[in-house]
Amino acid sequence: MSCRDLFLVGLSHKSAPIEVRERVALTGDALKAALAELRGIDGVAEAFVVSTCNRVEVYVHGEEIDPARLFFTSRSTEAAGHLYEKGGVEAIRHLFRVAASLDSMVVGEQQILGQVKEAYGLASAAQAAGAYISRLCNRAFATAKRIRTETEIGRGATSMSQVAVELVEKIFGDLRGRAILLVGAGKMGALSAKALTVLGADRILVTNRSPERGLQLAEQVGGAYRAWDELPRLLAEADVVIVSTGAPTYVVTAEMVAHAMKGARRHRSIALIDLAVPRNVDPSCAHLGDVFAYDVDDMQKVVDATHEARRGEALRAEAIVEAEVMAFAKERDARAALPVLAQLRRKAEEIARAEAERTLAHLGGKIDEKGKKSVEAMALAIVNKLLHGPTAKLKSAASSGDGDLPSAAAELFGIENEPPREPRAADEHAVPAASRSAASERS
Amino acid sequence: MSTVILRFAAALYAVAASAYIAYFARPRHRAAATVGFWILFAAFVVHAAAIGVACSEFGGTEFFSVRGGVLLLVWLLTGAYLFLQRYYKLPTVGAFVTPFALVLLIPTLFGTPGRPGVAPETFRHPSVTLHIISAVGGVALFAIAFGVAIMYLLQEREVKGKHFGALFSRLPSLDALDQLTQRLVRAGFVVYTVALIAGTITANAVWKSAWSWDPQQVISLVIWALYGALVQLRHSGWHGRRYAVVTLVGFVLVLSSFVSIRLVPGATKHTGDYGTRQAEISQ
Repeated sequence: MSCRDLFLVGLSHKSAPIEVRERVALTGDALKAALAELRGIDGVAEAFVVSTCNRVEVYVHGEEIDPARLFFTSRSTEAAGHLYEKGGVEAIRHLFRVAASLDSMVVGEQQILGQVKEAYGLASAAQAAGAYISRLCNRAFATAKRIRTETEIGRGATSMSQVAVELVEKIFGDLRGRAILLVGAGKMGALSAKALTVLGADRILVTNRSPERGLQLAEQVGGAYRAWDELPRLLAEADVVIVSTGAPTYVVTAEMVAHAMKGARRHRSIALIDLAVPRNVDPSCAHLGDVFAYDVDDMQKVVDATHEARRGEALRAEAIVEAEVMAFAKERDARAALPVLAQLRRKAEEIARAEAERTLAHLGGKIDEKGKKSVEAMALAIVNKLLHGPTAKLKSAASSGDGDLPSAAAELFGIENEPPREPRAADEHAVPAASRSAASERS
Repeated sequence: MSTVILRFAAALYAVAASAYIAYFARPRHRAAATVGFWILFAAFVVHAAAIGVACSEFGGTEFFSVRGGVLLLVWLLTGAYLFLQRYYKLPTVGAFVTPFALVLLIPTLFGTPGRPGVAPETFRHPSVTLHIISAVGGVALFAIAFGVAIMYLLQEREVKGKHFGALFSRLPSLDALDQLTQRLVRAGFVVYTVALIAGTITANAVWKSAWSWDPQQVISLVIWALYGALVQLRHSGWHGRRYAVVTLVGFVLVLSSFVSIRLVPGATKHTGDYGTRQAEISQ
């Protein structure tokens, strides 16, 4: 008895270091070639490959797991020690969790769903993904979408620059017509300034103790360089000040800020973001009115709070995944039960017809046309009466997702319990239509 | 009859308020804000009908009482908010303004409506109508500014508090709230100025004196000066927190003076017979 199932072999940031991941990661044409190769293997009905910088996973719908395993072992000898393997419901659950960003490095991040969708699109275009994987993926996408709307797993800032963006957005709305001031040439500062450009800041000012590095950075971020001793005056000009110097003392002092606020700023709000350790902005600035000062610790606390909140939301998300996986598995089993029923009926009817013919051949000319019809009808009627009970039982087993009864029936009646041949995506509609007619036959 | 219609309007206000609050609690459900807007609009229309019916029932004396003033205030407040919502698209403000309107309205549902009667002849002056509508309209704008200023202070506390809680993500940015407060104060100040001018004209015609040290006159001038100062101070750097606090103080002064002056019998001519009898006697 041959039985097709979903198999998964993969590695991710949880199981393998980047050195191993990058060795097996595939993109573009290499990925297409790999899909074609997988598809060519005997016993592989359908396949698709998710390959991102954090994971490489091969999903195979077929008879055995080996082709998926081979994908890795043929590419890297080191991969073998880092692989995880799953089959059946476990594999389905894994895909659903991945698509819903529950298995991501940053739980709840948005990108992974797009990446899985892309992977499915590629497999579909390469004709490696058929009706089964199509159903599987669509269910996974729907589940991910449901989780995004029903839980708050995607909420909150997960990095320092995101915190800076959220903070600035809540103070100023957007940054159109406003200036960002970068104090010092730290890398984090430049990153945050870049992130803030999404809010439409049209002016970036850069100041640094050494003019060379300052000019260099100004060019890099598309800003204007200002001399270091202009800093007190720049505080009046810029609305967001990002400080990351290597200085061991406060570069931006409370007096400096207070003076700017009372003077040229006229109490317009200012955001001071201190990314330096040791701190470069005097923490007492935060006590000044209309001054919003944040240091690395404050921002890290926001990031931690996001992770904490997401952990809570992840529990709710897991429950949704579980419900969706069960629903999908149930449907899959229902599909498996229907062919048994159709085959059982076909076999019984064949026997009935054959027996009726034999009887009629024996009788020869002793029976008229009407009598012949009656004999045939009687044979089929016996079949129907006999199969009425099993048909009902199999159908209810199908709808309740019970997979044991169909296999038992298949064994009892000596039928090959082969899952329906999954047609390729092109004639996907043929499947429900065919199984529907099989099910509605004389019901 | 008008009270029955008013109670119906109040029920609509309550539904609108709960829709806006539901939206505030679950911003994902954008539909709640839309529902809130249209139900509030319906409340506004029904409220207008209640005012119209009351006018025909009580012949205009309706508006010469605290109850009538509050009724008009809530109506104009709602109208101003609906107008605002059309242009600013800040449905979270609804969660602050609509419950406030409802709370103001509730006492009027149970009070005894004014005695039926026609307003005294001397009040058939166009400046009286203008005075009442612009005074209440100005206060309505100050009331919304009050709500927005509270939102500003709440949001400021969130941002300064360095933990991005539920309010943080739901309330608009400080800048948006600050600007909205400023615009409301400015518009309210203009309308309130019209009220003072119309009031002076009325006082001159009815009381035969533009200024008579009536407590309502005095306090109104103080309020006018306060908001006028706010409009002016904006240009010399009053922003954010200080601006919001003064906006709050201004409105508390408006509301408390309006009520307290009328609680002391005979304190002001802005109540009872509005000093008309006195004027007639002296004539």
